[in-house]
Amino acid sequence: MSLVHQSADPAAPQRVVVIGSRGFVGGAIVAELARAKIPSLALSSQDLDLLAPGADTALAAQLLPDDAVVIVSALTPDRGKDVATFMKNLRMVEQICAALQAQPVAHVVNIGSDAVYADEPSLVDESTPVTPMGFHGMMHAARETMLRAVVANNLALLRPSLLYGAADTHNGYGPNRFRRTAQSDGKITLFGNGEEKRDHVAIGDVATLVRLVLQHRSAGVLNIATGSSASFRGAAELVAAQFDTPVEIIPQKRGGPITHRHFATGALLRAFPEFRPTTLADGIAAAHRQMRDG
Amino acid sequence: MSPRLGFVGMTHLGLLSAAAAAAKGFDTVAADPDDGRIAALRSGSLPVSEPGLAELLAEHGTRLRFTSEPTALADCDLVYVAPDVPVQADGTSDPAPVDTLLAWARQSVKPSCVLVVLSQVPPGFTRQRLAPGPALYYQVETLIFGRAVERALHPERFIVGCADPTAPLPPALASFLAAFACPILPMRFESAELAKISINLVLVAQLSITNTIAEICEGIGAEWNEIAPALRLDQRIGKHAYLGAGLGIGGGNLLRDVATARRLAAETGGDDAVLRSFEANSRHRRDWALRALSRALAGTVQPRVAILGIAYKQDTAETLNSPGLALAEAVGGATLRLHDPVVDLTAFAALGSAAGDPLAACANCDAVAIMTPWAIYRGIDPAALAPTMRGRVLLDPYGMLDGAACAAAGLERHTLGSPAP
Repeated sequence: MSLVHQSADPAAPQRVVVIGSRGFVGGAIVAELARAKIPSLALSSQDLDLLAPGADTALAAQLLPDDAVVIVSALTPDRGKDVATFMKNLRMVEQICAALQAQPVAHVVNIGSDAVYADEPSLVDESTPVTPMGFHGMMHAARETMLRAVVANNLALLRPSLLYGAADTHNGYGPNRFRRTAQSDGKITLFGNGEEKRDHVAIGDVATLVRLVLQHRSAGVLNIATGSSASFRGAAELVAAQFDTPVEIIPQKRGGPITHRHFATGALLRAFPEFRPTTLADGIAAAHRQMRDG
Repeated sequence: MSPRLGFVGMTHLGLLSAAAAAAKGFDTVAADPDDGRIAALRSGSLPVSEPGLAELLAEHGTRLRFTSEPTALADCDLVYVAPDVPVQADGTSDPAPVDTLLAWARQSVKPSCVLVVLSQVPPGFTRQRLAPGPALYYQVETLIFGRAVERALHPERFIVGCADPTAPLPPALASFLAAFACPILPMRFESAELAKISINLVLVAQLSITNTIAEICEGIGAEWNEIAPALRLDQRIGKHAYLGAGLGIGGGNLLRDVATARRLAAETGGDDAVLRSFEANSRHRRDWALRALSRALAGTVQPRVAILGIAYKQDTAETLNSPGLALAEAVGGATLRLHDPVVDLTAFAALGSAAGDPLAACANCDAVAIMTPWAIYRGIDPAALAPTMRGRVLLDPYGMLDGAACAAAGLERHTLGSPAP
């Protein structure tokens, strides 16, 4: 199910409710909406605890029929990869689904993950079967299914690849961690020699695409990727090149086999022909400038 | 005495087959219930663009009698039912036109007449149409768009589906087929119907593996055009193997047969994974030009792009699954100029403006994409092309232009199976 624009000409939604507005992704989306002068209601976990009893009623009370809702809220893998975290993530969306049933809205956009795909396919597109291999991927796949059950139409399921950006609070393996360890220790440590290739997406691109999806009231599935994968070694070298002082890139003994992931971005190019993804070199340079400038 | 022949269904397949029969010296009735279609043929207007067809009809047309009257079939000893069966974009096809014309023929032919279904039909189709009266056979068509005259006059073999393959072929059918001096392979209906699909699946396999390796070539600095000749000299692969890198699987017929085989595998519990891979690889490689163009034009504001070639391949006006059309439909935010030597571009005016010649289409463009390997595009001189363009991006997937000349002209040339510039 590729993305279909229900509004061929872009138009601002009446209001966008961002659930999970204080996180790395949610914050970028709220900022992008502000830049585009699209009214938004930012709901963080402090405003709405989705694990608390009655969260569904509280959320429904805040929703309006003409709203678009962007769902970003999730406990990310750095908060736990266990059953308990998995179940909490499902309960959060259970509450959101109940709220959407009580108060339907005009458009729902879910920010999921490419973790819904198995690790084996090196080339992924929107028709790749959803066969998650871990709790994180299963959580995203289950959340998508739960949302499909209550939002028959007007549902966009976005599946970003690995994200990076200066404001990222997670410390996952990739450009964000590389930048921090290069800054603090003058070192970047790789798994193996960093041969694995991944499609690294600048956070600003996600925010831009979410805005475009909202403006076109798009429905369906879309992977968010650049279409160009780079090795972790390559990403590390790009990060290291941002520093005035030498940064040591240290290989480590590899724990698992080398896997690669590439994205066929035909659906993205068709959906938003004028969108140009940020190259990894440009994105890493921009993130470095933001980190340096505070 | 030579059998008197009839062909029913005067679209691409029927017309070519009737013309070939006339060329072999047989008096032939060329029938179709569509009065307008017959009137057009009588006036010399051809419904298809096919090299050599007009000349063939001019030379042998005196033995062809175009008619919309079914009674004209009454004297025929052998009647082929040969309408084109349209393929939908999803790879499915509906054989209803075959049933319609089979019934139309049956009402007029004599009991001793032999009826042959020539259109491509799904396995099981012909046996289900057995009925009292004229004998019914199925014959595999191997029409190739753009090479149909050659294929009709010089077939490699005839594959004939029979209710009973151990019985000799009827004299009228046997003597007609013998005129082509090629092997005749009678077999049961289902085998013949699946043989046609099997031929196309092997071709799809060759194309898919070619396209897969070509993409690897682009990534690692290898050159597919250096590898392919080595494969052709391998006797297990052969000099006629389908080893030309392409933009997915073009046209509708090959992908239709993949879809049919997938359906048959699903119905019978067979493994269809490789068939799904063919389809996925075709979709992926079809987007080669879109990806290359998107990367090459990153940062170009309001780009102008010329697309040369809208037909799905050269020497045909067919546009189903056309890479050029797919690119034109996908490129957003760009001003498009279109050119095709045969396709009527007025139908695609919403996508871009038509140009009368290739160089005019390329004028002031940031990028040029040669999406159909029409012979006339080989005549484009890179040294003349480059100065007319605003940019330097040339998508030449099929390698129509000389690489060294393009480099000398300063063009950034992207070609299938070659290292990306």
